[in-house]
Amino acid sequence: MPRHHLRRARWSQVAVGLLAVACATPEVEPSDKDSDTVDDTPVVDPGPAPVPEGVAPVLRRLSQTQYEHAIRDLVGDGVYVPAQIEVSQRIDGLDALGDATVALSPRGVSRFSDTAYSVAAEAMGPERRDGLVTCTPSAAVDAGCARTFLADFARRAWRRTLTADELDVLVDLSTSSAAVLEAELADGTPATEAFYEGLEYGVSAVLQAPDFLLRVELGEGGSYTGFEMASRLSFLLWDTIPDDLLLDAAEAGELDTPEGLDAQVERMIADPRAHDGLRAWVTDVLWLAHVSELQKDPSVFIQVSDDFFPSSVEETLRFVDHLVFGADADFRDLLTSRTTFLDRTLARVYDVRAPSREGFGLAELDPEGPRAGLLGQASILALYAHPTSTSATLRGKFVRQTLLCQTIRPPPSNVDTSIPEPTPDAPTLRDRLDSHLENPACSSCHLDMDPIGLGMEEFDGIGGFRETEAGADIDVTGDLDGAPFDGLAELGTTIRAHDDFVPCMVDQVTRYALGREIDAADADAVHWLEQRFAASGYRMKSLWVDLVTSPLYRRVAEVVP
Amino acid sequence: MKHIDRRAVLRGLFGGAAVSIGLPPLEAMMNASGTAWADGGNFPQRFVLWTWGNGIVPGQWVPAEVGEGDAWKLSPELEPLAALKRKVAVVTGTEVRAINSIPHYSGLGPFLSGFVQIGEEGAHTSGGPTIDQVIAEEIGKDTTFQSIETGAYYSDGLAFRGPNQPLPPERDPAVLFRSLFGEAFRAPGEDTRIDPRLALRQSVLDSVVGRIESLQGRLGSSDKARLDAHLTGIREIERRIAKLAEGPPDYESCARPASPLSREQLAEDPFEVHAVMARLVAMAFACDQTRVASHCFIRPVGNYQFPGTTEGHHQLTHNEPGDQPMVHANTVKQIEALATFCTALDEVAEGSETLLDHTIVLGTSDVSLGKTHAIDEWPTVIVGSGSGTIRTDVHYRSTTKENALKVPLTVIRAMGIARPSFGKDDGYTEDSLGALEKV
Repeated sequence: MPRHHLRRARWSQVAVGLLAVACATPEVEPSDKDSDTVDDTPVVDPGPAPVPEGVAPVLRRLSQTQYEHAIRDLVGDGVYVPAQIEVSQRIDGLDALGDATVALSPRGVSRFSDTAYSVAAEAMGPERRDGLVTCTPSAAVDAGCARTFLADFARRAWRRTLTADELDVLVDLSTSSAAVLEAELADGTPATEAFYEGLEYGVSAVLQAPDFLLRVELGEGGSYTGFEMASRLSFLLWDTIPDDLLLDAAEAGELDTPEGLDAQVERMIADPRAHDGLRAWVTDVLWLAHVSELQKDPSVFIQVSDDFFPSSVEETLRFVDHLVFGADADFRDLLTSRTTFLDRTLARVYDVRAPSREGFGLAELDPEGPRAGLLGQASILALYAHPTSTSATLRGKFVRQTLLCQTIRPPPSNVDTSIPEPTPDAPTLRDRLDSHLENPACSSCHLDMDPIGLGMEEFDGIGGFRETEAGADIDVTGDLDGAPFDGLAELGTTIRAHDDFVPCMVDQVTRYALGREIDAADADAVHWLEQRFAASGYRMKSLWVDLVTSPLYRRVAEVVP
Repeated sequence: MKHIDRRAVLRGLFGGAAVSIGLPPLEAMMNASGTAWADGGNFPQRFVLWTWGNGIVPGQWVPAEVGEGDAWKLSPELEPLAALKRKVAVVTGTEVRAINSIPHYSGLGPFLSGFVQIGEEGAHTSGGPTIDQVIAEEIGKDTTFQSIETGAYYSDGLAFRGPNQPLPPERDPAVLFRSLFGEAFRAPGEDTRIDPRLALRQSVLDSVVGRIESLQGRLGSSDKARLDAHLTGIREIERRIAKLAEGPPDYESCARPASPLSREQLAEDPFEVHAVMARLVAMAFACDQTRVASHCFIRPVGNYQFPGTTEGHHQLTHNEPGDQPMVHANTVKQIEALATFCTALDEVAEGSETLLDHTIVLGTSDVSLGKTHAIDEWPTVIVGSGSGTIRTDVHYRSTTKENALKVPLTVIRAMGIARPSFGKDDGYTEDSLGALEKV
């Protein structure tokens, strides 16, 4: 069966939602790059990167973790930031696209405002202010000292040097506040207390400004400016604001030269904060934030505890981190590696030896065993399952959409989509789905998903291994677009070799990094990234470096009014 | 758009203006005899949009009889509203007229906004404001919050102020409490001293507005719209500051509620969370913090496993065979939650009536029969008469499969908004439902 109808309409506007086409009559979507074959034959270096024209910029708001990390970098560790200040909207499988699309709600604006005041109060509290305000105020109103502090603080928060007028506003806010507050001081309180409390208003104004909450990267003359590049690099690679070194390099024009840019990127990739950047990408692409929302029936899954959910996410994050930074391995091993990280909670679920110490330890899974790679992890197996059971459909859909970047159409309406109850004649999910698939309205799409998920059926709704379902053996054989597999581990190997897998990983990095869908104008540049990725032996670090130093990451079109 | 200001109308009445204003004399008498708002005006109308997940079992939902008063009885799935029956209106037999291509959203999108649904399941946006925001734009401009959005279970929310302007619900009662009754709130009789820090906060907002305005000129149209929405949020904070400077309100049923347990302390149980939310929203109404609220109980496609059932709710709607007794039981439980919400409003006295009597609660779901994602036999239940603007204790059943969007249009007009039409294309209507209208 030809699979081209599944392929994401890459490089073109994906008109989601208005599809009136039922699954029974799949429409052939424009298929772009069927010749995108990636195999293990040595690949030659594709030469210099193409220079795309660029796409018009959009504002992106800081994600929750970017905000948390920025506050950490601005004020210090341990400053209280509420969870989920404003939930991100997930668009086309990425919060990063939602953050570039939707407006803040009034409640979100209000909560960011409240948070700005509570952060400012902590920053100017007696425990932290001496580390932040390097000058010593001479009185309640000391414009010079306020200016010294705010120039530096706002530069880091807004990721650029402020104009004199912009700084004046912040200094005036702080000093005029200090003057008002001085009159409110209790007898015997030093006047400089009013100085610091006045600064809270300046700090709060910095943290409520769109220049902080949003990424104002609009470009100039077809390229992002040096300061804008500093932001783009740090939010992607570190999931936080630039440090002073990066801002200084931007201001000195170093990011405008290939050598200067390379030097900063090399430094950033080697910095511990790069782990945060990778974690943020993995969390977004795999929807790991949703794991904490899962409900699992404890009477069915007796291994489920409150620890299970965060532990399962942590395993996946450590696993990918190890693949990319620890081992600098072929990223395709994502689907096949037997090296992972478990704590006691997960060791119980996986029925393997627990690490000898509290917390996570490196674990080598049985090289011949059924569990391997990302698909074998509790996070993924639990996410794509139901409260009391597995879901071959959701698991298959995950493989198609997230790992192969293919499109699955929604089910048609007014069709009974029910799966029969288990019976003695049909004890396993496969038996029940088989009868379900007799309905052609269902089967046209479900045949794309269910056979993949059925290959993972030896793992229950939280990732525990089982050989039988309702007393019957589980058949985990199948094929993925013609390539046969027997069980989850082989399925991983099959996906690894699938033509769409590597281009999809490049897409997933690129869409996340750009905060937008890939545009037709980007086609050559993205193809170049795929070739470079292959030439590097599929090293993810190398893909990220190639992306951020390529013109694709630098070029931007004019704003369309 | 012409906005009929009912308060102005009634003030005119009290002033002795001898004009015919289209209100039945009985209602006018009642208002004159004791349901006056504490500031001398009339009790304001409030609106609640309350949604539950994954529809109904139509055979258990549709009441057997039609008509008013004793002529009709509640169906099994509406039975939880028994104590409030005199304040309930049910409309059945209508259909949402839209291409049903996005399960769980094809029907709900047009019903709530009038626009055809945009986007996919879980990644949807709205073509325009949802009904709660249509109403809030008219009646929410003077209150501390234009509207309040709450939820009890995982959800990105269903309320939109416009395209790409979702209003995600608050799911933690403790957080909701802090924003409603925290430092920006003073109950009647509390300290009226004005903190000078309020003025400083206003200066900070001025600087933020300055930053937004300086950016606006450099942006494309969609980003401009996003920053306009941001400005709306800033204006709401400013209004809150101004309200504080005015001094505490003096509404008879307004009191600072006790600080609630957090969502985590409530073990994330949607029923517990919801019950606390309901009381907070009721008090927010009583204190005139807002006049419009929406609550998303279980979201469309929500797979919450209800106690005593064997699978998640969404999964059951598709897989449970036969008459779907568990789906039915889950629907009953969700309507019980709706009853909890309405009862919280009904327990707050306002004059000789209750808060619920001055509210229209519009309850609906995302499909009718979940199993087939059906959008005919659309479920709609209204509780509260909105100060006598909606007929209650009535079951109206359309025998001609009327356009379900007549219901939201009827509600919008009952809220005093002279809206000419609702819906687009096949869903377009200029007609309210006469059976519900009380003119």
